[in-house]
Amino acid sequence: MDFWFSYITLAEIYVLLGLSTNLLVGIVGIFSVSQAAVFGVGAYIVAYFLMAAEPMSFLPALGIAAVGCILLNVLVTLPSLRVSGDYFVVTSFGIQLLATAVFTNWTAGTGGANGLPGIPPPDLFHHPLESTGQLTLLCTAGAVLGCLAFFLIMRAPFGRLLRAIREDELAVAAAGKNVLRAKVSAAALAGAFAGVAGGLYATFLSFIDPSSFDLDASILLLTMVVVGGARTLAGSIIGPFLLLALPQILTLLDIPTTIAAAMRQLLYGMLLILFMMFRPQGLAGERL
Amino acid sequence: MLWLQLLVNGLETGCALGVVAISFSLVYATTKIFHVAHAGIYTMGGYLAWWLVTHGAPSAVALLLAVAACTVGGAMIQSQIYARLERRRATHLVILIASLGTLAVMQNIIAAVFTPNILQFPIPWAANVMALGGEVRLTWAQMLTIAVSLAAYAGVMWFAHYTILGKRIRAVASNPFLAQITRLQPQSVYVIVVAIASAIVALPGVLVPLDLGLQPYGGITPLLTATIAMIAGGVGSITGAFALSIVIAELQNLSLLVMPGEWSIGITFFIFVIFMLFRPTGLFAAR
Repeated sequence: MDFWFSYITLAEIYVLLGLSTNLLVGIVGIFSVSQAAVFGVGAYIVAYFLMAAEPMSFLPALGIAAVGCILLNVLVTLPSLRVSGDYFVVTSFGIQLLATAVFTNWTAGTGGANGLPGIPPPDLFHHPLESTGQLTLLCTAGAVLGCLAFFLIMRAPFGRLLRAIREDELAVAAAGKNVLRAKVSAAALAGAFAGVAGGLYATFLSFIDPSSFDLDASILLLTMVVVGGARTLAGSIIGPFLLLALPQILTLLDIPTTIAAAMRQLLYGMLLILFMMFRPQGLAGERL
Repeated sequence: MLWLQLLVNGLETGCALGVVAISFSLVYATTKIFHVAHAGIYTMGGYLAWWLVTHGAPSAVALLLAVAACTVGGAMIQSQIYARLERRRATHLVILIASLGTLAVMQNIIAAVFTPNILQFPIPWAANVMALGGEVRLTWAQMLTIAVSLAAYAGVMWFAHYTILGKRIRAVASNPFLAQITRLQPQSVYVIVVAIASAIVALPGVLVPLDLGLQPYGGITPLLTATIAMIAGGVGSITGAFALSIVIAELQNLSLLVMPGEWSIGITFFIFVIFMLFRPTGLFAAR
C-alpha cells in the first residue's frame, strides 16, 4: 500500500513539474533543459527554511521557494529571450550545469554531494502531516490546484496570447502585444510551478541530493512532456505517471545495477527521438 | 610563475576548445540546427580511440579510425534524423529535442558499455613533460593538442575559402533558398558539413582525454563553452569562434588563482551574460 501511495505522490509532484515544462516547451515553444535546476532551487529553499534554527512553517516556506524560483526564471530568461531562442538553449544548459555545480560544491548551504538528510515533514497550520496518506493528500491538493490553474490560464486571454506567440511571433508583435513580456511571464509561472514541486518533493522524501536535480532529471522532465503530449493538460498528467512506472518495469529485466541508471537514460533518449520522428504530438497532445 | 603556467595551460585548453567551437559553428551557421548531439560525437571519438589503443592499435591508427567513425556518425545523424525531420516540416524545437535525445542515447550507450567511471589512456609518452624554461612545463599530449588544433583551424580556413566545396557550403549557409534553385543541393551539403564537423571535433575528442581522461558525460561542458565562444565571437566567424575560445579558456585558467576549479562554469556563464547584455551579435559578427 505504501508503495502505491509513494508512487502516486511522486507522480503528482512530477505532474506539477510536467505542467511547468509544458508551459515553457509546449505552449510557448521555448526549449528548456533547466527545469530540474529550478525544481532543485525550490527544494533547497524549502529545506533551508524548515531546518533553520527557528523553523518556519511549511506554507510560508513554500511561498518563499515559489517567489525565489519566479525571480530566478525571470532573471535567466530576460536577457537571452531578448536576443533569440537559440541563446536561450545556451542559457538553459548553462543554468543547469551551474546549478549542479552549486548543489554539489556549496557544502555549507546544500550539504554537497551527500545531500541534505532529515528534512522535517510539512505542516499545515501547525498540524504536522506525518503519515504517507496525509502527504499524498497534500500533494494531490497541490497537483489539483496546479492543474486547475493551468486549465484556467489556458482559457484566459493570456493563454491564447502564449499560444499565438508559438504560432507566429511576428504577427503577435504586429498586433501590438508585448511578446517579450508574455514569454517572461510564462517563464515566471513555470518557475512558480517548479518551486512548489520542489518544496513538496523535499518534504515528502525528507532527503534531497544533487542527483535529483541534474541534467538527466531535466531530460526526464522533457521526456515526460513529449511522451504524454505537449500543450495539453492531459499530456502533463499522463507523462509523469507513465514514465515513473517505467523504471519499475525495467527492474523486472535482469540489468546489472551498475548500468541501470544509464539504461534508464538511454531509454528516455530513445523515446525523445522516436516520438519526435513518428508522433510529435505525444500520446494525448497537440503537434509540437 | 604560477600564472605563466596557467596562461600556457589556458592556451592549450583554448586551442582544443577552439576546434570544438569552429566545428559546431560550421554546423550551426550552415544548417541552423543547434546540434547538441555534437557533444556525443566528441565523446564517442575519445572512447573509440581508447578502445582501439587498449586492444593494441598504434595511437596514430586509433586517432584516424576514431576520426573516420565520427565522420560516419555525424553523417548518419544528419541524414537519418535531422533530414527526415526536416522533410516532415518539423519545427526548430522538434529538431532540438531530437538532437538532445540523440545526445542522451550516445552518452548512455557509452556509459553502459564502458562504465561511467573515468578512464585513462594507456599511452605512456603522452605524459612525458617538456620544460619551456623556468617552471613552465607542458606534457607531450598538450603540445600535440596545440599543434593539431592550430593545424585544424588553418585547414578549415583554407577549406572554406579556397575549395569549391567550401564555397558551396558558404553559399548554402548564406542563402539556402537561392542555393536550392541554383541546384547546389542544400540537403546533401548539410550531410557533408555535419560529417566534416564531426571529423574535426574528433581531434580534440581524442587528444584532450590523453591528458584529462575520459568520461561518458564529459562532452557537454566543452560543447557549452564552445557555443558560448561561438556566440561571443560572432556566429559564422571561424576566426572569432577560435579566438574567443582561447580568451575564455585563459580567463577560466586565470580564475584558478582566486577560486577553486569547480566554479569555472560560473566564469564561462558570466562571460556569456555580459555578451548577451552588451554585444549579442558577438565581436567578429559577419555583417
